[in-house]
Amino acid sequence: MSSINQQPLRNYRVLDLSRIWAGPYCTKLMADLGAEVIKMESLSVYDSHRGPVNPARGIASYPDSEPGEEPWNRNGWFNCLHMSKYGITLELTSDEGRRAFERLVSISDVLIENFRQGSLERLGYDYEAMRKHRPDLIYVSMPAFGNTGPWKGYLGYGIGQEQLSGMAHLTGYPDDGPMKSGINHGDPITGSHAAGVLLAALRRRRRTGKGMYIDVSQQESAVAFMGPDLLAYQMTGQEPERIGNRSRWYAPCNTYPCADEDRWITIAATTDDEWHRLVSAMDAEPLADDMRFASAQARMAHQDELDAIIAGWTRDQDAFVLAERLQAAGVPAGPVLRGPDLLEDRHYAERGTFVSVDHPQVGPKHYPGIPWKMSRTPGEVRWPSPTLGQHNREIFGGLLGLTSDEIDTLESDGVIGTKPTGSRII
Amino acid sequence: MMGDATISRMSGLLEGVRVLDLTQYIAGPYCTRLMAGLGADVVKVERPPAGDPIRGLGSFASRPNVFREYGADEPVEDGAWHLYLNASKRSIGLDLKTKEGRQVSLDLARKADVLVENFSPGTLDRLGLGYRELRGVNPALVITSISNFGQTGPYRDWRAVEATLYAMGGLMNITGEPDQEPLKEGAPLAQLGAGQNAFAATMAALMFAEETGEGQEIDVSIAEYATNILENALMQYSYSGQEYTRVGNRGYGRAAWGIYPCQDGHVGIIAGPDHRWPEVARIMEREELADPRYSSRRGRQEFADEVDALMLPWLIDHDKVDIFKAGQESGLGFSFVATMKDILEMEQLVARGYFVDIEHPVAGSLTYPGAPITCEADADAWEFRRAPLFAEHGGTVLSDWLGLDAARVNELAGKDIIRLGANGLAD
Repeated sequence: MSSINQQPLRNYRVLDLSRIWAGPYCTKLMADLGAEVIKMESLSVYDSHRGPVNPARGIASYPDSEPGEEPWNRNGWFNCLHMSKYGITLELTSDEGRRAFERLVSISDVLIENFRQGSLERLGYDYEAMRKHRPDLIYVSMPAFGNTGPWKGYLGYGIGQEQLSGMAHLTGYPDDGPMKSGINHGDPITGSHAAGVLLAALRRRRRTGKGMYIDVSQQESAVAFMGPDLLAYQMTGQEPERIGNRSRWYAPCNTYPCADEDRWITIAATTDDEWHRLVSAMDAEPLADDMRFASAQARMAHQDELDAIIAGWTRDQDAFVLAERLQAAGVPAGPVLRGPDLLEDRHYAERGTFVSVDHPQVGPKHYPGIPWKMSRTPGEVRWPSPTLGQHNREIFGGLLGLTSDEIDTLESDGVIGTKPTGSRII
Repeated sequence: MMGDATISRMSGLLEGVRVLDLTQYIAGPYCTRLMAGLGADVVKVERPPAGDPIRGLGSFASRPNVFREYGADEPVEDGAWHLYLNASKRSIGLDLKTKEGRQVSLDLARKADVLVENFSPGTLDRLGLGYRELRGVNPALVITSISNFGQTGPYRDWRAVEATLYAMGGLMNITGEPDQEPLKEGAPLAQLGAGQNAFAATMAALMFAEETGEGQEIDVSIAEYATNILENALMQYSYSGQEYTRVGNRGYGRAAWGIYPCQDGHVGIIAGPDHRWPEVARIMEREELADPRYSSRRGRQEFADEVDALMLPWLIDHDKVDIFKAGQESGLGFSFVATMKDILEMEQLVARGYFVDIEHPVAGSLTYPGAPITCEADADAWEFRRAPLFAEHGGTVLSDWLGLDAARVNELAGKDIIRLGANGLAD
């Protein structure tokens, strides 16, 4: 708690209307840097990443697979993305709700949303309207395809952005179709881009006093990662081939089977020197003289044979022991880590990569922490992700100065609360 | 170029910020590329004679079928990776291993606001350019280090390529078919992602330094970045002890949530919330899909094979863009697997003026993705200039940043401390 007074963003307040992952990852990074992030949800349509009101209908990750009485407060999807944020609820369909919202905007530096394009505008809360309440507001709007253009009203999910950006086109086994990633990879890419540009905008505001409207197309953000491949396509006229885990630049580079069920190791040799180190580690000196593998170009040309030889060598070995051995020999190698491996890994343990956080409705669990180490302003995970409406009294009372009676009235009128209402959430 | 007059895709938010860029390959250069795009003066220090090794990785404009220039001892100017990752930067050829080269870089560090590097950990120390020396000349300097596993910990000195990082960051285990080897994605997303996260952290540290006069070091690990975006793939295990596994092109614990073949390629069928499911049956003209057994996520998951079999005939009979739009016009977040050609022609991107055409003296004119994020008009232009030729700006940088005159620049060049651009003398 003490170090918050020294965090880079300690003086900035972010009113966070974003949901799911792309926006929340942006504001997670802001919270990691010390910003006061107020996550605002509606009781009738809370962040769907909390999972269903009725757990029988949907999917989620609950502690010990047990939804409990308030499953929306117990889903790991949500709880890994909102640590160190405040959580409030507010219905914008009522006059009192709108007044409270406008007051919140007036004391916030940033408003961020990733509703379907035009949703806030329909509520009368576009950038121009918001500036009346806060002239130097930075308003970050991040719908799937941006706020202009023929697709602006279209819906997009992180899984879809993998495809529409070309990322999926490049991913897959050789001679097979495109493959999705194991996550909704478009989301964190957009969230991180947005955080960087938002910070640059805050810095500019400090120098000029000017706020700004930032239009984030989640798709454009993802396509920004495809630049080299888009240039290569123009140079060659050829669509990129899917090459699995191989490299276009060196061989070997692949994922090879190891002993035990679903155990794998990645091994690469990017230079002749690393190739000779690998051959020594394999105790396979004849390979060093094998003309098929004598140069980088030759190894590229004979990858199938090379991969078969290496796979034959790794097949009965322990992935972890082998990786240590190859690294000691100076060969890029690493085991494919699974969930339990990550949480038990000695390197991540020493670096504090994962943090244990005690959530009131979940108990202590491991979460991904802050994705960097800063020497002067290290920051810390300050508290667990908020339960629905957890900080209503703190924010509406402590920050906006409403009296206890006024807050009670908001609650009894259904403008704020801690229990979901309505049926719009599955 | 703009689709809408109220929005400019440009902004010089970082105008006046000086970045000493000691990065190479992918992760570091993507970080500083974002800074350069936002208007910072990014000076890329490249080692003679060939410069950043990424220059040797293709494709190349002049040799479309070559993927790599092996052992190039001349700088390659027209590789796709260099052209994209180093756009908008200035290049100075400087040998950090020489005594005077080190001194010039310390002089540059004194004038910089930010230094970004992604050497293997310990390299800066060995060059006599460690944090202590840098801090000694510039206490307000923000020093951002990006590395495979970070500056500390047992794997600090481990070697890695993208596949290693993807594997050890936990992303590989969950990508691919359950009965085949796990996959990395095709693009180097761990390195690029770590670069963008490093950008955000650096911006915050820069603000702190400007406020307090105190710089700091930032340690970004690429593998650690990957672990930060696992979301439910980690949380499911953390919460319930049940391991997350590979599910190929089906959504984890879902059905009708993944990639499917269609007439001219592949599409993403993304069912969305349950109340939208009947729309899928309507679009695909299959009443059977409206069967109550499929009305919930759970139900579709249980009968996933049946659902797929009912959808496939219609999918195979339709084109990807038509399927995408049929879904979208009915409020469903369908997508399609875009090829490079599809992206360059995509009506939404073109309408928004996303792409920029840039002329390069060696690579010629190419179409580049523009700003990843668009800012409001009254900020200045997003700087999108072509990637520099090797050492192109040595003279001007030494003049702008250090006030050196042409005689001194040429003296350094004569001693091979710096390399000057193709025009020979201080430019």
